[in-house]
Amino acid sequence: MKLSEFIRPASLPEARKALRALGPKGMVLAGGTALHFMPGKTTVTAVDITGLGLSYIKQKGDYFVIGAATPLSDIQRHRGPRWAMHEICRRISTHQIRNVSTIGGNIARVFPWADLPVVLLAMNARMVVYSGKEKDIPADEYFSSQPARLFRGGDLLTAVKIPVLKAHHGFGSVKATRNATAFSLVTIAALLELKNGVIKSARVAAGSGIPFPQRLKPVEDALAGKEASTAVFKEAAAAAGAAARWVGGEGMSADYIRQLAEVSILDALERAAEFARGRAA
Amino acid sequence: MTKTTHTVSFTLNGEKKTFGTRPDEKLLALLRREGYRGTKYGCGQGTCGACTVLLDGRATYACLLYAMQAEGREVRTIESAGTFDNPSVFQKELVAAGAVQCGYCIPGMVMSATALMETEKVLEDEIVKEYMDGNLCRCTGYEKIWVALRKTLDRQAAAPAKKPAAKSKSSAKGGKK
Repeated sequence: MKLSEFIRPASLPEARKALRALGPKGMVLAGGTALHFMPGKTTVTAVDITGLGLSYIKQKGDYFVIGAATPLSDIQRHRGPRWAMHEICRRISTHQIRNVSTIGGNIARVFPWADLPVVLLAMNARMVVYSGKEKDIPADEYFSSQPARLFRGGDLLTAVKIPVLKAHHGFGSVKATRNATAFSLVTIAALLELKNGVIKSARVAAGSGIPFPQRLKPVEDALAGKEASTAVFKEAAAAAGAAARWVGGEGMSADYIRQLAEVSILDALERAAEFARGRAA
Repeated sequence: MTKTTHTVSFTLNGEKKTFGTRPDEKLLALLRREGYRGTKYGCGQGTCGACTVLLDGRATYACLLYAMQAEGREVRTIESAGTFDNPSVFQKELVAAGAVQCGYCIPGMVMSATALMETEKVLEDEIVKEYMDGNLCRCTGYEKIWVALRKTLDRQAAAPAKKPAAKSKSSAKGGKK
C-alpha cells in the first residue's frame, strides 16, 4: 500500500464525507503504524483523524469512554477506580509504538495477534461508530467478524466504552509471548462476577493461537455457579480444547498452543478472582 | 533528489521549519535527507529503535511515522541532545562505562532516555526498563548501557533542580548548514 495523498478533515462529518467519496481508496490514519505494513501496491489517500478531538479518557456514568485516537501509552498510564486496561496495554509492543498506536487502530482492523479485541470481548465493551450519528455496538457483535464491514460508506469508529467494574467484579489478562515485546502466542482475558465466593457470571475470551478473537463459551459454562477456586478454574481451563480451534505457529504445534492457552486461562482466572476479592474487601 | 509534492511544517530541535515531502515519505527519510543523520536507519519496521526521535516529547520510531504526521508538532532528534564537544550527561556516562561498541543504537537509546528523564519523576527500574524496551543493542548485552543510564538517573535524582541537557542545547540543532 502506498500513500498518494494526505488529508486532514476538520470535523467528523467532513472525515466521513471524504472516506465515503474515496471508498476503498481512503484509509483512516490515527497512529498510522499499521499502514506501513499493509500489503500491495494500491495507492490510497490517508484521512488523518488526529485533529478531531478523539484522544481522551473520561468516566461517563457506568462507562470509561476512550476516544478512538487515544494512544495506548495514555491508556497504560491512566489510573482510576477499578481501572484494568493498563495491564494489557503495558504488554503491547514497545514504548515507541505505544506512544503512537491507538485503541481505534488496534480494533478497526483486527490482526490475528491483536490483544485489545480479546480484552474488550471479556470486558463486554461497546464500540461507538459514527455514521452521521453515533451508535453503540456491543463487543460480541462488533467482533463477530472483521469490523471493516461496519465502516463501509465512510463510517468511523469514534470511541470505546468500557464498563466500570463493580466491587464484586474482577478482571485478569494474560499474554504469552516469546519475548517481552513480541507478538502474542496466546492472549486470554477473563471477567468474573463473584457473589459470596461463587461465580455468578464469567466472560472469558482468547486471541492469537486461534484464527480470530472469540469468547470461550465452554470455559465460561464450566465456571458459572461454581466456587471461585483453583480446582474449578483448572477444570474450566481444560475445556479450552473444545472451545476453539487452536493453531500452531512460530515452530510450535497446535497442541502446544492449546496447552499454553489452558495455563493462561488458569492464570487469568486466578488474577480475576484476586482482583474481585481485593476490590470487595 | 527527492521529488516532493507536499510541504510539512514542524518545530525541529527548537526551530520552526518547512520541508518539501511526499505523502508516503517516512519522517526518518526526510530527516536524513535534510542532514539530521544522527537518527539512524536500522530495521525500518519499528523494532530496533535506532531511529527514535521525540514527537511532542514522546519517543517514537521515525521509520513508522509519515513525515506528514509531524505537521504542527515538535520533533527532536539526537542532534538536540548533545554534540561531540558538548555531550549530554548520559552520553558522557555511556563513554565512561565503555557502553558504546558499534554505536549504531546509541542515538535511539539517548532519545528514549531523554523522554524518560523529562517525563517521569520516579525513576524506578521497572519504569526505566519500560521506556527503554523499544531499543535493541546487538553488541553490548545492555549491561554497560544500563550502568550508564542508572548513573545518569541517580545523578539527576540527587540534583533535581538541574535541567536535563537535551532542552538547553541551542548550538546543537543539526541539519544542513
